[in-house]
Amino acid sequence: MKNPLIKRIPKELASDWHKYLVIIVFMVMMIGVISGMYVGHDSMLYSVDAGRKELNIEDGSFELKKKASKELLDDICTGKMADVRSYFIEKGNKEADKEVADAVEEHLLEEVKSAIEDGVRAQCEAYGIIDEKMIQTQIDTVMQDSFEEALEEARNSEEFKQAVEDAYKEAHDTVVEEVDKEWGKTEKKYHLDEAFTPVTIKVYENFYREVAEDNNLDGTRDATVRIFRSDDEIDKASFNAGRAPKTETEIAIDRMHADNVGVTIGDTIRVGGRDYEIVGLLSYVDYLTLHEKNTDFMFDAFGFDVAMVTPEAFSQMKARVHYNYAYQYDTKPEDKVAQSDYADAVLKSLITQTLVYDNEIEDFLPEYLRQASNFAPSDIEGDSAATSILCYILIGVIAFIFAITIGNTIDKEAAVIGTLRASGYSKRELVVHYMSMPVIVTIIGAIIGNVLGYTAFRSIAVNLYYNSYSLPTCHLVWSKTALIKTTIIPLLLMFCINLYVIVKKMQLSPLRFLRHDLSKSKRTKARRIPAWKFMRRFRLRILFQNMPNYVVLVFGVVFIELMLCFAFGLPDSLNHYGDMAPQMMFAPYQYMLMDSKDEDDHIITTKEESAECFHAKTLLYGRSGAALFSGRGSGGDENVTVYGIAKDSAYISLDSDVGEKVYLSSAFAAKYGIGVGDEITLKEEYENQDYVFTIAGIVDYDGGIAVFMTEDAYADVFDVERDEFSGYFSKNEIKDIEEKYIATVITKEDISKVTTQLQHSMGGFMEVFKYALVILAAALIYLLAKIIIERNEQSISMVKILGFQNGEIGSFYIVPTAFVVLVASIIGFVVGYILMIWIFGVFVLQMDGYFAYYMRPSSMVLSVGYLLVGYAVVSAVDYLRIKRIPLDVALKNVE
Amino acid sequence: MEKFLEIKDLKKSFGSGEAKQDVLRGMDFTVEKGEFCVLLGPSGSGKSTLLNIIGGIDTPDSGYVSIHGDKLEDMNEKQLTLYRRKHLGYVFQMYNLIPNLNVKENIEVGAYLSDHPLDVEEVITTLGLQDHKYKYPNQLSGGQQQRVSIGRAVVKNPDILMCDEPTGALDYKTSKEILALIEDCNKKYGSTIIMVTHNEAIKYMADHVIKLRDGVVRHNDINTNKIPADQLDW
Repeated sequence: MKNPLIKRIPKELASDWHKYLVIIVFMVMMIGVISGMYVGHDSMLYSVDAGRKELNIEDGSFELKKKASKELLDDICTGKMADVRSYFIEKGNKEADKEVADAVEEHLLEEVKSAIEDGVRAQCEAYGIIDEKMIQTQIDTVMQDSFEEALEEARNSEEFKQAVEDAYKEAHDTVVEEVDKEWGKTEKKYHLDEAFTPVTIKVYENFYREVAEDNNLDGTRDATVRIFRSDDEIDKASFNAGRAPKTETEIAIDRMHADNVGVTIGDTIRVGGRDYEIVGLLSYVDYLTLHEKNTDFMFDAFGFDVAMVTPEAFSQMKARVHYNYAYQYDTKPEDKVAQSDYADAVLKSLITQTLVYDNEIEDFLPEYLRQASNFAPSDIEGDSAATSILCYILIGVIAFIFAITIGNTIDKEAAVIGTLRASGYSKRELVVHYMSMPVIVTIIGAIIGNVLGYTAFRSIAVNLYYNSYSLPTCHLVWSKTALIKTTIIPLLLMFCINLYVIVKKMQLSPLRFLRHDLSKSKRTKARRIPAWKFMRRFRLRILFQNMPNYVVLVFGVVFIELMLCFAFGLPDSLNHYGDMAPQMMFAPYQYMLMDSKDEDDHIITTKEESAECFHAKTLLYGRSGAALFSGRGSGGDENVTVYGIAKDSAYISLDSDVGEKVYLSSAFAAKYGIGVGDEITLKEEYENQDYVFTIAGIVDYDGGIAVFMTEDAYADVFDVERDEFSGYFSKNEIKDIEEKYIATVITKEDISKVTTQLQHSMGGFMEVFKYALVILAAALIYLLAKIIIERNEQSISMVKILGFQNGEIGSFYIVPTAFVVLVASIIGFVVGYILMIWIFGVFVLQMDGYFAYYMRPSSMVLSVGYLLVGYAVVSAVDYLRIKRIPLDVALKNVE
Repeated sequence: MEKFLEIKDLKKSFGSGEAKQDVLRGMDFTVEKGEFCVLLGPSGSGKSTLLNIIGGIDTPDSGYVSIHGDKLEDMNEKQLTLYRRKHLGYVFQMYNLIPNLNVKENIEVGAYLSDHPLDVEEVITTLGLQDHKYKYPNQLSGGQQQRVSIGRAVVKNPDILMCDEPTGALDYKTSKEILALIEDCNKKYGSTIIMVTHNEAIKYMADHVIKLRDGVVRHNDINTNKIPADQLDW
């Protein structure tokens, strides 16, 4: 015989459907949203990863000044270094030989001429001829008759041969000396003299042109667009919509850029002065974020675009061709160190080969350092930290609600449980029975949540990513993480918490159940309360009686407030960061140069009076235990900019007596809790080199994770010369440095660019999140308030019999809850705010850079206000609930 | 009749110090198998406590209860549960029915526990609940609910049917009907009945009447002149 108690379950679900509906909706929303985030996250990363293979991503690229010859490309592919010294010596010798030959010939002619003239004059003098005219005639005659013969004789003379040999030798020696001198410098600069293992590569043409884009045909430049050919074999694009261009008037542009500037398929845009119809929206595998330059602080999907045209359209464009070549290794590097070694080897080969083929390198970038292809995946990876935190907090809340609901059900059914236990039902049977409801509800929630997670919510998550990055078409993948984190763990957690609560309750003897004696506290006397008016005392009694429920309510409200502090605080923090950006800059302009010297080896200077040169380099600070992930970019080690600051700097004031001690930016100190006197270890990313610094002080700079040291200390520690500086700080724009020498300029817009992009990506989501939280708050209060009223049904019925009106009864039961909600909201806000500062700190630890948590005063008021609005709705429902309680409840079931 | 249930020097008190209250102060009696035994006494005489100890849901401070020679004090919790499951049926003053199960299902709750349950339909018929078997407890009168409660206990075909003031919340007429039903069960299924009541009139329908006062047995009488329940009057 099947346990007849099973029949209760569907009836229980049906009779209390609204309660279970709220719980299921709560679970579905939680599991759905979080599973959607995970599935979207995993699908996106999978798609990005799959795209890298399918779309044939490069391992690196280089740009040359001129189109490379086939021979140059063939030699680059071998990965070998060209013998530049021999090449230059040979070249120098050839030039020297020619010069020597010319000089010798000239000299010989002069010598022979001079010898003939001297001979004739001597003979004339012997014959007493003194008439210069006659002498000259005689010289011309002899010259005409004997010059060739004399020349031949002189050439064949041993003396001449020796002289010629000496001249060649001297010239060749000079060539070697000159070449060795110049080559030595280059060798040292590019470490070409170190041990070298060739890395064979395959090189592909990946030429592009950069032209102006006018996307609303108003004649003004809206963006810079980088145009590639549709027949490129490497770094291909996936199409989010539409197709590749087929005719000369068609173009496919970046999907994210199109979204941002408001153009789509079918629209016409003007590119390089010519109109094109957009036929496709694409995502280039090497442009997942639209970084125009790799050194750009932030990508710019508004002002920069990448596009594809047909080879014919490409050839008709007038803008200069950038001879960009992408390469792939024949054997892929195994790890990060190997990646770095391979890139170094390719660069060495490239430097030497281009030299011997008389070409120049304009740019070189290994793919692993490419911001445009690595920024998005590492950022997406970082998202899972926030998702996990949200997931576990929500699970905790639901488990709480279940525990309370179950506890309340057991209290309500105490007599029945006592009877069943007295009749012989075992504890196990009753535990199984009372466990079945939460398990069923959790499973229903998990199933629906997962279905939604793989469908609707996944799309929301994917769209969030699409709002930020130029990602390829997303393929749905099965996410093990999603199943474990959103379903298996919540199920287990719910199971364990409920099992604990139920088993604990079931430890009581049948007799205590029969006597409704379930409370642990042995309070025998009622609390004494002041001699207030009856109504007030009544409400206070209700407050005391429902204390456990109110405790949970307070926890719930604190949680909701915490979430509201997040929903309000994140956009506020971003805005605040953006607003504070000008104050965060220690120099209005910060020019990072490609090199401190120009092409002619002259130090790059400026007439700008406020300019002050600085040294800078990027090192890594190990997040140690704080990091959730390993790898470059967000999640990996923190990038720290180390500045070497000039003495008596106008921008950063450092005590010059600190020696090799350093100053930290306030952001660095705050993020990692580092103080004066502490030691930090910074390391080179791709070299086995650590630096240990002692902190001398903190510089008030929240704009970045930075270390400041004196110029002298910098030069000593990093073994660089004073004139090998990295750039200029300036109060005004520097106009007299050629753009090609400037790697990047950091202005306040660059700092606020980060927040602008984040606001664009998350703004809408945060609004939705706020309202979702209000609903969540209302659902939570609804469930707890329901429990309070259910527990008091008999009392409510009884006071109704006694003649109290619904309004009065409502005030007995609703006012205490309202009071608790109000107080809890305020306490919750304070706790939430403080917790959020802490959580934000942990969260910021997972990403590069630093944001301080900030909340506007109006947001503080609203975060409490939103919750109270949610409660107002619930209290209206509560009032209706109280109104519906029949009078006979008090008369039935009375013991 | 064989000696079935033995209560020996049973003592139980509640509270401690000055508030200590001796509820059972050494009780001795035996009950034969198939006997209809009534524990009679005023409020506070210890009769419910005694019943709970016999039922294995409360424990004595000293003394013992043995059934078929097995002492309850020697049983662990699991064995006590099994003892209640296999040998006892309980009827309380409050019916304690499961609100969202109908009459038949509430009775099945009892049947499920037994290795040799009675036929549920037959019990329903015996209890006169044929017309109400699909009703929920809140659709029934107090008397009908108590019938269901008895049905739930009887359907197990228990060795002992424990009844704690089964008519305490019922009117005269309904009380007599309920008593008649319990009497029928005793006769029909041979269950030993131990009924706690403060109603003196009920003693006339019992085989064995034990009067309690202040925690001790004042009278332990065998009633040889039983009268049927429907002839009782009070």
